[in-house]
Formats: sequence, C-alpha cells, structure tokens
Amino acid sequence: MHHQFKSPEGPIEVTVARDGDAWRLGDIEATPMTDGRLRMVGPDGSVNFAHMAKVGDVWWVHHQGHTFRFERIEPGATDADDGGGLTAPMPGKVLQVLVEVGQSVAAGTTLMVLEAMKMEHRIVAASDGIVTAVHFNADDQVEQGVALLSLEDS
Amino acid sequence: MVSKVLVANRGEIACRILRACHEAGLATVAIYAQNDADSMFIELADEAVLLTGDTIGETYLDQQQILSIANRTGADAIHPGFGFLSERADFARAVTQAKIQWVGPSPEAIEKMGDKMTARITMRAAGVPVIPGEEIEHEDETDALEAIESASHRVGYPMLLKASSGGGGKGMRAVHSPDQLMEAAMGARREAIAAFGDGRVYVERLLTGSKHVEIQVLADRHGRTIHLGERECSVQRRHQKVFEEAPCATMTPELREAMGQAAVAAAEAVDYEGAGTVEFLLAPSGEFFFLEMNTRIQVEHPVTELVTGVDLVREQLRIAAGEPMSCGPLMMRGHAIEVRLYAEDAANNFLPAIGPLAIFRPPEGPGVRLDTGVREGDEVTPNYDPMLAKLIVWAPSRDEALQRMRRALDEFIVLGTTTNIRFLRELCDEAEVISGQTDTTTIDRLWPHGWSPSVPRSIEDAALMAAAVGESAGLHRTQQQASKGPEGPASPFSTLNRRFP
Repeated sequence: MHHQFKSPEGPIEVTVARDGDAWRLGDIEATPMTDGRLRMVGPDGSVNFAHMAKVGDVWWVHHQGHTFRFERIEPGATDADDGGGLTAPMPGKVLQVLVEVGQSVAAGTTLMVLEAMKMEHRIVAASDGIVTAVHFNADDQVEQGVALLSLEDS
Repeated sequence: MVSKVLVANRGEIACRILRACHEAGLATVAIYAQNDADSMFIELADEAVLLTGDTIGETYLDQQQILSIANRTGADAIHPGFGFLSERADFARAVTQAKIQWVGPSPEAIEKMGDKMTARITMRAAGVPVIPGEEIEHEDETDALEAIESASHRVGYPMLLKASSGGGGKGMRAVHSPDQLMEAAMGARREAIAAFGDGRVYVERLLTGSKHVEIQVLADRHGRTIHLGERECSVQRRHQKVFEEAPCATMTPELREAMGQAAVAAAEAVDYEGAGTVEFLLAPSGEFFFLEMNTRIQVEHPVTELVTGVDLVREQLRIAAGEPMSCGPLMMRGHAIEVRLYAEDAANNFLPAIGPLAIFRPPEGPGVRLDTGVREGDEVTPNYDPMLAKLIVWAPSRDEALQRMRRALDEFIVLGTTTNIRFLRELCDEAEVISGQTDTTTIDRLWPHGWSPSVPRSIEDAALMAAAVGESAGLHRTQQQASKGPEGPASPFSTLNRRFP
C-alpha cells in the first residue's frame, strides 16, 4: 500500500507490500504483534521492535532509541501554506509587540515577545522584510500555530 | 508529633512526598486544581481535596484556601515540595501560626535565603565566599536601571543580572557587552515582576568556565547540622538544570570537606532546619563561591539519595516531627546520574510541547529509578511545568552509570508528545560529559546554533516503513482493542516450579 508523509524537504512516499502476516519494504520485513508493536527484521537478520501510536494524522514511531513523528498526508489533500506568517510556537500570552505595520525589519530582529510556561520566547524575523500585519496586541492570549504577524520579504 | 500531612504541590514531587508519607505511616491529603483531576498524585493520597479557582494563583498558590483545607481535613503538617509555596516565608509563617507543622525551615531562614541579596549579605557575614557583585535595592525602574548601569562599570563584563526573588532561571540574564545591558535589565525586571511580583535585580560577575556544585544539608532540632556531599549540576540550558550527578567527577575529599563545612556554616547562620541545598560555583582555580541556598527539597535530590543511602524526604518528615535525623556519618558509594525529561522540542529551540502520552514506557532493570507524576494516557498541557519525569541511575562507577543511563534512555519510549529523550541520550556521548569536564556553558558551547538529532538513515527508513505498515494494517484501530495487560515476563505464579535440590 502507498502512503505519503510530510517532511521538511517535501513529501516522502512509502509503499509497503503485504506478504502473509508480514509486510515488506525492500529487504526489511515487519510483522505486527498482538500488542501493537512491529517486529522488524533487517537485511542482516537483526530483529528490532518498533513501538507506534497514531494521534490525529500523526504516526509516532519509536525505533532503536529514536523517536519519529510522521504526519500523514491524506490522499487528495493539498498542502496548505500559511503565506509566510509567523506563528505561535506554543500557546501563551503576548508580552510585547516590538514592531508596527509598514516597518522594515532585518533578519534576526525580535518582532514579538511571548510568554508561555513562565518563560519568555522571542519571535524573530527569519529574513529581511516589511511587516504587513500584526494580528495580536500585548496581553492577548494566543493558541499554538496561529499567525502572529505577517512579513513580506524585501 | 505529625500524623497527617497535607502535600501542597502536584505532579512528580507530590507523588514522591505522598509515597514517603505512606512509608512513614503518615496519613495524607492531596490538593488539586480542576485541570489536575485525573493526575496520578491524587490517587496516591488518602484524601484529595479539589481547589476552587482556575489560575495557579487561585489554586496551588492560594494560601488561605490551602490552610482552610488543612484545618478541615485535620492535617497537622504541610509539605510544600518545591516551586509553588515552598519558599514563601509568609506561607510558612501562616502555617506555623495556624499550629500546623511546616515541613521546612523557619520563615526567618526562608526570608534570609529567599531574598538573594539578603542571602549574599548574610553569607558574607558568616564567612562564606560570595561571587563578586553588587546588591541593588531600588524598586523604582528608573532608579534601578541607573544603579545597574553604574554597578556594571565596577563589576565588569561579562556579568549576570539576577532577580533578587528569582529562581529557576527566571528573571536572569547574562550580559556580555554594555549595549545589551538596558534591554537585558528591562527583560529581567519584567520577567521577575511577572513571576515573583518583585522586580529588584542585582549584578554579579559571570564566572565562565565554572562548575555548578551544590551541597545537600540536613539540620534537626537536636543541634545536628550535617552535609551529605555534593551534586554537580553544571549541564544547564538557560539556567535550567538538565543533567545532574553525584559525586562531582572532579571532586577531591579535601574540597568536599571545605565546601561541606561552608554549607554547614551557611545553614547554621540562619538556624536552618530540615533539608536544604547550598549552591556554589566552583571555579577552575578550585575557588568556590556561594550562589544561593534553596530552602526546600530539590528536584535533583534523588542522586544524593542513591549515593548516600539517605531518604531525604523521609528525613524531612522525621525532622519536622521533632525527631533527630536518622543518618550516620557520611558514606558515599558509587555514582548516580539524573536527567530531566521534558515535554519539549529540543530540535526547535527547546520549545515546550503538549499532547497525549499515547505511549509512556519507562525503562526498568537494575540501578534505574524513575520519579514521575504522569502515566500512559495522560495529557501534557501548557498549564504547568513541562517536566514529565526524572530518570535516575546508579552504578558502582561513573563510567558504568553513564552506560546505564544510555541504556535506560534508549529503552524509554514516549509517543504522542515530543520529549528531549534523544537530546539527553546524545548528551551522554559528548566528550565533556564522558570526561566529567562539564561547566555551566557546556550546552551552549556544544550546540551554539541549536541542537538537532543525528539519525542514521537506515533507522529513519525503518521507522517510515513502520508508520506505513501501521497505516496499512490499521494498527491504530486495533491498538485500542489490544490487550492492555502488563508486558514482559509472565506472572511468577504461573511459572512457579517447586524443584528442591
């Protein structure tokens, strides 16, 4: 079966083939266990167990001491783009807004200061640009992932 | 006499204290906010009382409400844990006045040590060396900024601005050049006012290349004040400790004795009672300077427990009940390391993470201890500190302890919420950590542009395959129905063999 997962470099396509109780990809064999784990046999015959959980569209996988988070792209879905907006990395409160609409900023400029979990976090311009919108004021509560400001590259 | 302890805290440390109370045969009362209604610590208490209110200020910090619950439930002692009200002298005083035993030092001792500037002055008077710097008492912003500016010329760069009421890295800023000073000072003041309601900030020389070494002390009402050796907590990120160990890899018996004596002098200078920690900076020259005293049990107390065999929380309860502490002469054995597991994205500037603990499977085996307040199925929310657990290992030598920590971290499985497990695991492979030559700048120097995991391609490919198989086979749908029974070896009873020689 064919699946797509998001990655910073673009979609990753994975196709696995069923073989009785097991699944194959190249010379790796994976067999689901009754407890939800996968018994994975590598090309060299090595056996490891992958732990998995799906939360929303995301598959969480723990394998050989590493933890992965793969967001599945539903077939037919298009990748929404946030249009260069700067988003809240976590839920919190806006402490300070340091720029105004129309202002030119250099890469690295602090645009906004957020407070979450009692720590301050700076929202910084990733590139030179002009502030085209500021969506929140000081003391506003923000949800994770919301656009805080918009910046147009200059 | 103490017979019923109210634990005025939540999460991991509440669990730790409630368990100690059970072991001591003491009845317990937990208090909890509505958003903690399903938390593990509640289940460990004999009684649990819901706090009214929504914010932390209206719940875990509401002194009057907590006192009235103590009265209503007949609790005769309050253990504050760490954070929250643990270092609030006014609360300790109110508890004492209500004829309830405070598990901790006197309000006067908390006051003297809690205000970092007063502590510096008290320690200087007791002959304990303090970091070169200046106290600045101004409350007014303009006056304070002016005084900080003026002090900066005498203290010199790099320097550290610290909130007088501060702790946990809040209200603290490192300043490397004069042009950063005003922004840093205002930021520190703002954070200090938000976190502690006190914007006073003082100036200290930033001693780069120093180790953070702290001494555990215990004092009882029978005239005994002892130290239990050191912990090294140099590996910090934004002044938050992440990797703690005992003993310090570069400690000598002579230096331990000197620092231990200074710590005992510090405790005696404020008539200390109970468990406390005197923090020092240990310079490469071997000179040490008083940083601050934490007048409470500390997050990293387990490493001391593992190398000394002393149950610190149990001793706190004993001392609060007016009994003499039970520990004999200091004996340190083997090596212990603790790491703090946070729900945070280490690869993305360590931003706090939230989500469900869809799978939470801690390591087991010899020499492994886990102190946590969460379990599988819990939700990590932005309401509280993102620390999920403390993983502590003990082994006969430092090398073996580090090997054991690597093994334990490799076995630790948390899915559904991003954690710093891999960051901690890679930290264990860094040359500085292996040699023990860590200092407080280790993390910043190792990863000046942030950390990102190094993942072998073959493992990532296998994991991608696992996700694809999971989706194809519909494992997420069958997972819920799968037996939730315990894994691992079968119950011993089903394999009982009576084979006598």
